[in-house]
Amino acid sequence: MTTHSILNSLINKGIISKKQADSMATFESERAFSIHWELRSILYFGILLFSSGAGILIYENIDTIGHQAIIAVIAGVTIGCFYYTYKNSLPYSHEQVENPNKLIDYVLLLGCSTFLGLEGYLQYQYNLFGTRYGLAVLIPTILFFLCAYRFDHRGALSMAITGLASWLGLTIAPLSVISDNDFSDGKLIIPAIALGSILTAVGWISEEQKVKKHFAFTYMLMGGNLACIAAQIGLISHAPKILYFLVGIGLCYFFIWRARHAQSLLFLLMGTVYGYCILTYVIFTNLGPDAAFGLGIFYFLFSSVGVIYFLLNFKKFLGIKK
Amino acid sequence: MKKAYNETWVENLHIQHQAAEWKSKNLLTDEQEEEVIAQFEEKFYRPGIFVKIGLFIFAVVACSFFVGFLSLFIYDTGSEIGFSTLSLLCCGCFVFFLEYLIKTKNLFHSGVDNALLYSAVTAAIVPVFLLFEHAPLWIYCLVALTIVIPATLRYADLLGALAIFGLIFTLLADLMMKFPLGKALLPFGVMLISAGIYLVARKSTDIYYRECRQILEALSLVTFYLGGNYLVVRELNAIISGLNVSIAPQIAFAPVFYFFTLAIPVAYIAAGLKKANRIIFVIGLLAFAFSVYTYSHYFVALTVSQGLALAGTLMILVSVLLIKYLHTPRYGISDEQNRKNDLADLQALITARHLGATPAEPGLEFGGGTFGGGGAGEVY
Repeated sequence: MTTHSILNSLINKGIISKKQADSMATFESERAFSIHWELRSILYFGILLFSSGAGILIYENIDTIGHQAIIAVIAGVTIGCFYYTYKNSLPYSHEQVENPNKLIDYVLLLGCSTFLGLEGYLQYQYNLFGTRYGLAVLIPTILFFLCAYRFDHRGALSMAITGLASWLGLTIAPLSVISDNDFSDGKLIIPAIALGSILTAVGWISEEQKVKKHFAFTYMLMGGNLACIAAQIGLISHAPKILYFLVGIGLCYFFIWRARHAQSLLFLLMGTVYGYCILTYVIFTNLGPDAAFGLGIFYFLFSSVGVIYFLLNFKKFLGIKK
Repeated sequence: MKKAYNETWVENLHIQHQAAEWKSKNLLTDEQEEEVIAQFEEKFYRPGIFVKIGLFIFAVVACSFFVGFLSLFIYDTGSEIGFSTLSLLCCGCFVFFLEYLIKTKNLFHSGVDNALLYSAVTAAIVPVFLLFEHAPLWIYCLVALTIVIPATLRYADLLGALAIFGLIFTLLADLMMKFPLGKALLPFGVMLISAGIYLVARKSTDIYYRECRQILEALSLVTFYLGGNYLVVRELNAIISGLNVSIAPQIAFAPVFYFFTLAIPVAYIAAGLKKANRIIFVIGLLAFAFSVYTYSHYFVALTVSQGLALAGTLMILVSVLLIKYLHTPRYGISDEQNRKNDLADLQALITARHLGATPAEPGLEFGGGTFGGGGAGEVY
């Protein structure tokens, strides 16, 4: 099946005229091959390679260069990046800002990461903040939040959320929530649930109030993931179980309910999977080991078939007409 | 082989995609695109990628517990024959459910059917391993191929194509390694088979196998290059001969492999640009990068950091110069941004993972973040 045969079948069905088909065929055959993304990828990987190479080079030669010089260079790069971003930015708006200057996103990101590097360097070398680590984390967090809203940058927003979480002593990046957090002593679970719920709420509010609506995804995914996992760990290892159960199920219900206004089916998946885990755990702990062993095969077989049925027909269940 | 999914719908789906692309270039009007969708209808159930993932996970759970469920009715699942019977029985049930769901629920690579297909194929292969325990490797490969090839022809599954490719090469390597001459000629064998697979795959024009064809093409281009790459051949040669030395010895026909290492990437890039074929072009670029690494591995004495900085500088220079040069399209090549970046949300999360370090630690690296090209993503 080629372009030509598709055009022919469109003509036969009377959707386009012969003339239009001819001009479309000409356009297709004369169209230039765009290597836009390939060139951009080479550029970004080049930047990445260069900056890591240069970083190691500096580290190897730190004795000959001297600390002040390095700090001056990093500070210069940071200020340069922020200045460039500010100069080329468009005015603030509640909506998504489409800046024709595509480079600006990456410059801001570079500025944010060199700012972190600079701060870390100052703390390491001159002990700038002493033992007030909280302050050291809070300053970039606030800066990144400001940047995210002012320059409309989702990358800066997620860096800011990460900073906020690490201020509480948590890791929030979706793939490392379980591996990098130490929930064993139970002290972190409540803050994790609280932060996660607040972030989810902020995402929801920004969507409802139409303030940077496209930020909702980042807020909800990071917050919801953290809160759901923390609630589950709380449910398994700590009392009062009923509280964790209610929080977890509430969040899952919220996610599934939100799939109605779905901007993202990812939340439907999160709600279903987390909800399934929580319900399964509660049912099995209440049944006791003997009954659980006997019923296990039937339960998993029929419940997973049930979930498949739900997912196959989720539009009908949730009343989505599309 | 009779196809499992409705072929007309698959074709209509392709026509709809093409129409949407033309619409985005303003070659078709809104009404014309709507008419295309109405005239070339398809009723496949195709949810977003995340619902697919959910369906796949739960279907795998359901399949595993179905095996457990059936095992309740069979006496001696402990013995090999008993378990093989159970496995074949499950395979039959899975295929039945698979066909039934495709017919009634209009599935088309929607997660459930993928999971059922993989479970059925696994269940069909398990008895072979149980009943012929000490057969040589190539027998297993042959038996697996006789199951996977018909399945892939019927269901046009991507993982099926991948498995066929892997099995063919395992078979080839296992057979050639048995003879000393075979060992010496292994690189040429790999290149020959890759070229063969590529030519066979190119012949298929059926839209039903479009994605399978693309993946086979890409893989065979990669193996063809790796089979001729000097570094791969030299290091693997040392490993195969069982040499335990820090520097692998020089190989026979070295000039031939020097030539391949340089010529293949250049040929790929040129062919990709000339034929406007993105698969060949991108693989050519990656192959070129690997060739540069091959060269510097043996002939250039730079430390890692110097190498990184130098490579980065060159890449930045070349890409910036090309972007400037292609400001107006030349020789049928342009720098026009015609694919949308659908991955903005996910990029933000990757950023958080890679750059979101807490500044309490000493941080020297100021990486710019990795942002690969944005492929066409699905609606979440």
